[in-house]
Amino acid sequence: MNNQKVILVTGVSKGLGLAICKNLLLSDWKVYGVSRSITAEIEKLKSSYKTSFVYIQYDLLEINDLKQDLFVKYFKNVSFDGFVNNAALAYDDIVTNLDLSALSKMYTVNVFAPFLLTKLVLRNFILNKKSGAVVHISSVSVHTGYKGLSMYASTKGALEAFSKNVAREWGPKNIRSNCIVAGFMETNMSSSLSLSQKTRIYNRTALKLPTSKDSVANSVKFLLSDSSSSITGQNIFVDSGTI
Amino acid sequence: MKKIENIINRIRINKGDNEISEFQKNMSLRDDIGFDSLDLAELTVLIEDEYNIDIFESGIVSTLEEIHERLLIDGGNN
Repeated sequence: MNNQKVILVTGVSKGLGLAICKNLLLSDWKVYGVSRSITAEIEKLKSSYKTSFVYIQYDLLEINDLKQDLFVKYFKNVSFDGFVNNAALAYDDIVTNLDLSALSKMYTVNVFAPFLLTKLVLRNFILNKKSGAVVHISSVSVHTGYKGLSMYASTKGALEAFSKNVAREWGPKNIRSNCIVAGFMETNMSSSLSLSQKTRIYNRTALKLPTSKDSVANSVKFLLSDSSSSITGQNIFVDSGTI
Repeated sequence: MKKIENIINRIRINKGDNEISEFQKNMSLRDDIGFDSLDLAELTVLIEDEYNIDIFESGIVSTLEEIHERLLIDGGNN
């Protein structure tokens, strides 16, 4: 079970994606990391993990070139064991202010690109006869309503439905698909919330705490690993016990 | 198009079916060759690996002959 696995992770430049990336690299797994912007943290990882970390700068909004510019160009001879769909845009507003262009960008990055990436990763698993694992990062906002998050939550709800059905469809080939339902973390994604909003959100959890990035990253690794070989089609809540 | 026939037989053997020794152009991938949708997915992946063409990209292909056409039309070369 400690065999080195090869994992594709999106949205690796900061926040949860970066934590997931570091966690997998620390276990000596090989990570192909994708993000639209390159950060100092990424530069650091590149120099610390010269062979096990391969970074590709790519904006998932460029969805039409995804196959050619990622899979044909960089992954032609890569055999993946797993895919972590982490990249996401957070467009939040009350629904009466809905802006179609912002909504459509969010759906491209949060839903259409992950669907297409799943297609390409599954084809990579099939080609290499791998029993791979897909992990989508969902959000507790799918299950508990928050003001301003209806549109964002709907993108994550789409991923949960997609994951459940992919699990059923590809189970016969021993390919698994699961979601981590993450609670609110202290990342840039929640930085637009005020302190009192954050406190209110954390008080709606059993632990009264923000969700720990490391706890989410460890759960992602568990779902990618052989330790979770009988778990598929599930939503695993890592959310400080939202009530 | 021996390559395609070999790919088909590889998939059949992996599922525990016998090799097909004589292929006909009008054989149906589902009814005569016995492929279900997951087998067909494997077939498209293996063909794409060989020819760099996704034969299902412009619609479903249902016979051996249609695979040949798709590969030739799309610039594939035996």
